[in-house]
Amino acid sequence: MSASIQIIRPPSFSLRALRDDLVRLIRYRDFLYTLTLHRIHVRYRQSALGYAWAVIQPVMLVSIYTLVFNHFTKIATGKTPYVIFAFSALVPWLYFSNGLSLATNGIVSNPSLVLRVHFPREILPLSYITAALVDFAIGGCVLGGAMAFYQIPLHGAVVWVLPIMILATIFLTGVALLCSTVHVKYRDVGLAMPFVLQVWLFATPVLYPLQSVPSKLRPYYELNPMAAVVDGFRSAVVLGVTPDLRLLGIAFLMSAAILVLSYALFRRFENTFADYI
Amino acid sequence: MPEALQFRNVTKNFHPREGMRTTASWRDRLSTWFEKSPAFTALDHVSFAVDQGEALGIIGHNGAGKSTVLKLLSRITAPTAGEILIRGSLSALVELGSGFHPELTGRENIYLNGSQFGMTRKEIARKLSSIVEFSGIGSFLDVPVKRYSSGMYLRLSFAIAAHLEPDTLLLDEVLAVGDFAFQRKCLARIDELKRSKKTILFISHDLAAVERLCDRVLLLSHGRILRQGRPREVILEYQQSNLIASAPPVFSGPLSRTVQCTGFSYRSTCRKDSNHVHTGDSMTVTVEFFAQETVSGLVINVYLYWPNGYLCTHLSTGAEGFNAEKGPGYVEFHCPVVNLVPGLFLVDVAIERTPEIMDWRHRCSYLRVDQGEKAVIGDMYLPHSWSCRRGQRQESSADCIASNSSAGAL
Repeated sequence: MSASIQIIRPPSFSLRALRDDLVRLIRYRDFLYTLTLHRIHVRYRQSALGYAWAVIQPVMLVSIYTLVFNHFTKIATGKTPYVIFAFSALVPWLYFSNGLSLATNGIVSNPSLVLRVHFPREILPLSYITAALVDFAIGGCVLGGAMAFYQIPLHGAVVWVLPIMILATIFLTGVALLCSTVHVKYRDVGLAMPFVLQVWLFATPVLYPLQSVPSKLRPYYELNPMAAVVDGFRSAVVLGVTPDLRLLGIAFLMSAAILVLSYALFRRFENTFADYI
Repeated sequence: MPEALQFRNVTKNFHPREGMRTTASWRDRLSTWFEKSPAFTALDHVSFAVDQGEALGIIGHNGAGKSTVLKLLSRITAPTAGEILIRGSLSALVELGSGFHPELTGRENIYLNGSQFGMTRKEIARKLSSIVEFSGIGSFLDVPVKRYSSGMYLRLSFAIAAHLEPDTLLLDEVLAVGDFAFQRKCLARIDELKRSKKTILFISHDLAAVERLCDRVLLLSHGRILRQGRPREVILEYQQSNLIASAPPVFSGPLSRTVQCTGFSYRSTCRKDSNHVHTGDSMTVTVEFFAQETVSGLVINVYLYWPNGYLCTHLSTGAEGFNAEKGPGYVEFHCPVVNLVPGLFLVDVAIERTPEIMDWRHRCSYLRVDQGEKAVIGDMYLPHSWSCRRGQRQESSADCIASNSSAGAL
């Protein structure tokens, strides 16, 4: 018989406990895996088009943006066709925005779990993020197909995709933990989310190149880790150049700090979620 | 023996105003922001310990803090003050089927549900066939659970929970649901856990089940421990306090019906010293009524319910009925032997004239039965006597070496 002793105490804010929290999270990795599979299954179940939706959504979006920003007005994108230009940025952006809006609701939309079963609550927002990662992979394949169609070659710089996506995931997880914590008590977060994401999309160089931003505004772009992610992803995949490492470095430091603080905050309030749902 | 779990001065407050913010005005919200809303104390400095291998029952009226204990132990919510110590693993069997997702199949839900309880996918895969067999869902394994009957739902979730191997098991009202065969399966599994020296914490309104299962019982009232000790004694005390805490039966009020019940009472007819009814006594139950007019074919039924709400038995004047004169009257039921086991029975009084129900008083009173000279367990007392004889059993009687007759005054 295992003689491990657990002590349940009133919750407190502690950065030092984070290591134990990670160990606990790893013990529950199977639950995260099961829940992620579940998210993917349930999302498209009883829909006629099924998994095709993971493709349709980015394709429709990029079509509209191409129509507006390439045919109605012209955005200079150099040699790259606008479709590829926009699509290569939309794929990581949709990962972030879909992941964030679903993960924010993660605690609130699962009362049956939160009110009845004990497990590390961060698994709920995380499961939406990992599920969004699957959609990202599908989007990435579609992007690859489109690039092959336009005969845009891949370069060695494409290896930067991995660190960039790790950065995106760190940032997304940090923001999602923060938003889902606050959302439990103040549902305003969820209500503001679509609007905030809309503004955020236009504040990020997704539909226009970072170079076209007036230099006066550039410093503010450095405060937006998603700018580094989107610009870096596009550079690495489509343009075949090494991304702006200074921008990525700043983004990484900010994201890591946000993640640590939001995780500690999340853990502080985790055990009171059931009282507010 | 070391404690399997321990509550040390645990307090849990809830803020009743929290979560209702959308209905509050901005001014209210501002004021609650600055001053703490008064807290509702669900548990008030509660301390107790459960030894390893012990089965502890927790009883108490609604709102006494039972579910809070459960929520704290299953770590769904955290204490406001104090600490809880848990030795070894603990799993809760609470509100069956809670972790199921309706869109997923039985198989997928087994994985989902099992991993919620901390089982790895490997463990679940190993136990899958055994879980499926225990639940008896058979060919429905790959059907979304939203198409399950509620019984299948229940059986599946109990099957999963039964395959956990915790050191300590929390049990809720799980036994009160499900059909007879299912209940027997549950009880067998719980007995098995008890025999293998698992610690059990059982929180329930089903006093009979608590008494059967538990070694010790804790009575909670308004967030405090009122009493703890041997199951029989604590349960009796609870029933008494329950009697006092509940509002006295109300039979007054305007006489609006043609025939209306105006009183219910009972007394033992074989005891001179007290009015209390004991198992094995003879008893008289009286129903008083008032008739606005002379009525023929009147039927009076008295229904006795177990504390968990199931019908135990009833007293009836018979389907034919009797004629009641205008004005007040009463019916007496004479019971030569009270076969009821000690406990508290809830009473419904119904006055009918087929097919019309003239007055039905739901849970209008209690009938309390105390223990007779002989301890009685089970659902009823069967009047009996016994004797012991020498030699092989034959039709002709051998020498009687001991006997006892308890037909009359148990």
